[in-house]
Amino acid sequence: MKADVCVIGSGAGAGPVIYELAKAGYHVIVLEKGPWFKTEHFTKDDMVATRRAIYTPAFKDEYHVLETESSDGTWTAVPTHESRKEFWNGNVVGGSSNFMSAYFHRMKPNDFKSLSVFGNIENANIADWPIDYSELEPYYTKVEETVGVSGIVTPHKFLEPRSTENYPFPPLVTNKISDWFSEAGKNLGFGIVPAARGIISVPKGDRKACYLSNYCGSFGCSSDGKGSSRAALINEALKTNHVTILPDSKVYHLETNDQNKIIKAHYYDLEGNKKSVEANLFVVAAQAVETARLLLMSKNPSCPQGLSNNSGNVGKNLLFSAIATGSGYIEFADFDKDKVAEINNPMTFVNRTLQDFYEFEKDGKKIKGGTIDFLLEHSNPMPKASRNKFDGERLVYGSELKTRLLNYFTTKKKIRFECFTDWIPNDNCYVTLDADHKDKWGDPVAKIRLGYHTANKIPGEKLAEISKQVFEEVGAKEISGAVSTSPAQNLQAGGCRFGNDPKTSVLDRNCKSHEVPNLYITDGSFMPTGGSVPYTFTIYANSFRVAEKIIDHLKQFS
Amino acid sequence: MSESKNSSNDLIFWQTNRRKILKAAIIAGALSQFSFLEACASGIIDEENNLHFTAEQNKILKNVMEILFPDDGNGPGINALNSFKYMLWVMDDEGAYQKNKDKVKTGVEWLEKYTSENYQKKFTELEKQDQEKTIAEIIQEETGEDFCSVLLTYILESLLLDPVYGINPEETGWKWLSHTPGYPQANEELRYENILTIVRASYSVNS
Repeated sequence: MKADVCVIGSGAGAGPVIYELAKAGYHVIVLEKGPWFKTEHFTKDDMVATRRAIYTPAFKDEYHVLETESSDGTWTAVPTHESRKEFWNGNVVGGSSNFMSAYFHRMKPNDFKSLSVFGNIENANIADWPIDYSELEPYYTKVEETVGVSGIVTPHKFLEPRSTENYPFPPLVTNKISDWFSEAGKNLGFGIVPAARGIISVPKGDRKACYLSNYCGSFGCSSDGKGSSRAALINEALKTNHVTILPDSKVYHLETNDQNKIIKAHYYDLEGNKKSVEANLFVVAAQAVETARLLLMSKNPSCPQGLSNNSGNVGKNLLFSAIATGSGYIEFADFDKDKVAEINNPMTFVNRTLQDFYEFEKDGKKIKGGTIDFLLEHSNPMPKASRNKFDGERLVYGSELKTRLLNYFTTKKKIRFECFTDWIPNDNCYVTLDADHKDKWGDPVAKIRLGYHTANKIPGEKLAEISKQVFEEVGAKEISGAVSTSPAQNLQAGGCRFGNDPKTSVLDRNCKSHEVPNLYITDGSFMPTGGSVPYTFTIYANSFRVAEKIIDHLKQFS
Repeated sequence: MSESKNSSNDLIFWQTNRRKILKAAIIAGALSQFSFLEACASGIIDEENNLHFTAEQNKILKNVMEILFPDDGNGPGINALNSFKYMLWVMDDEGAYQKNKDKVKTGVEWLEKYTSENYQKKFTELEKQDQEKTIAEIIQEETGEDFCSVLLTYILESLLLDPVYGINPEETGWKWLSHTPGYPQANEELRYENILTIVRASYSVNS
């Protein structure tokens, strides 16, 4: 089978490329490791989505080895089938974008030049991007229109420049508690403003609007309101008849010729048969860890250390959005009945954000801060119940447990904050191939060293403190929050950073490999730094940008 | 468009697509698997003659689960939730975490031994008060705590997962806790055991 372009992966990094190339008339073959769930297959079944985690591989089949640092400075590697630490995201057509919460914040202009503006930090590998905000801005706008972003642009201290006045879709309906946050912001002098979401609030083409299903993050969307790569882009691309999706197709090797050009993508089908696809260009977008793993597995005579890795940079400088999180409780007894009725309902969206501390000063030095999102606890009930099983270290059971459950579910509402700061790239955060552990096909699994730079704590602690002030003003009780040094697997990027110098980067400014003339990488791997926001919006925007470069490249073949 | 009108349209959309799914399932021959998933609700799983526990262990497990989540007048107890039958279903489920299942098997054997050594009786022969005292004792030890903790997880699942799994009958657990489920809810065709078969059958129907 031969195509103009073979795309490996189908998530947020792949969708724009598939969409743009198909619309331009090129034949695209998509090799997706996971199954092809259609919209009608998604329900709010907790058993499917979370208890048995059907959207990710079973630990016995595929896993990772995670290497973490102990307090004495030694590193310990543990396979995830032992630790039960899930490190997969959605492995289905459309990838994890099917299951995202879709908080769509743009990066700010200074995010593109962190090194120049904020300076380097000891033991860190901070680098400026080879492009600036103005180059990506038109593609953020394109995502807002094509994938669909809802919200209302509200001026605040760090609002980024925009080429359009507003988001193309009006804000989603929110829980009334959103007003409580806005009011708290006014009282404290903070600019708490509506947050944009990659979820449409009115129908768009075949896609229906968000219908307020009550379960959003971690669950697939039954109206296609959520702007997944599958619903927003791949389904549209399929209408051109230029796209072939091959689900359950796990790529294990990219074969090159003596000019170091990729000639075939080799993959296993559902039955484990070895097959291959030929193409003029290859686009890898398997999410940061798996993209690095595939390149490292693709050793060829022309690249004995792995594809595009003669510089030794593949897998290095892996990023995870640095996070501080916290919570508090709105105790219904503290408020009058009408006030409680405003918020005690199944409206789950809050969509309020605070970016006043995107940059701040500490000890006379400008520090890179970040974004605070305010939200309600997810509605699915098992996590709520499970956390009531223990009182500290003590197992709670019997009538005591039942009373705790009833109180938790009916007398209060948990509110949460999530703070996103810019993960500091460092020499101890990278992907390699594990020497001992293999997946079900006999291939080495990814070994991920999860080195956390302690300087990440500074903005995290600042934002957590600000968030707690807001929670107090809202009237919450039992307020807690802290920086998490354990990376969140759903916020991964880096590993194949782009840059102008082939000695220090894997990709050029167009996300084409410095070494392999027909290889592009369009997931989050390209990021040298990730900004103080979740990554998906930027991955989408950059993929639209690179799609245009790929089309220019393809014109050479015609 | 009003919220209620949206919901109505989406219900029609959803029902239309369910018909498509059923068609795909028939093509794939996947409907034959539904007998297993109906087992919990229909009583096909034999509580007394299961492959995992002896008759005495069945009784012990029921007694322990009743203590862990009693019918105390405050919401449903394990019998109203089908928790015991659900626990047996989990033991049969290859997708359930094996180490947790092992903790139940190890725990019940350990409890038999513990009771025999400390009370010179079977657990089921103890007065309710002594059974409760025994549970309070065993959760102080790792094996006992693991055993009870895993059973509690299964009980909470039987309280809060979708009734399609033969548990939480008539949404009794959700009603007790004033919980609103997500929409669309789980359904027979797309239950966890079958969903990948249904999804893969749809490739030839829809793609």
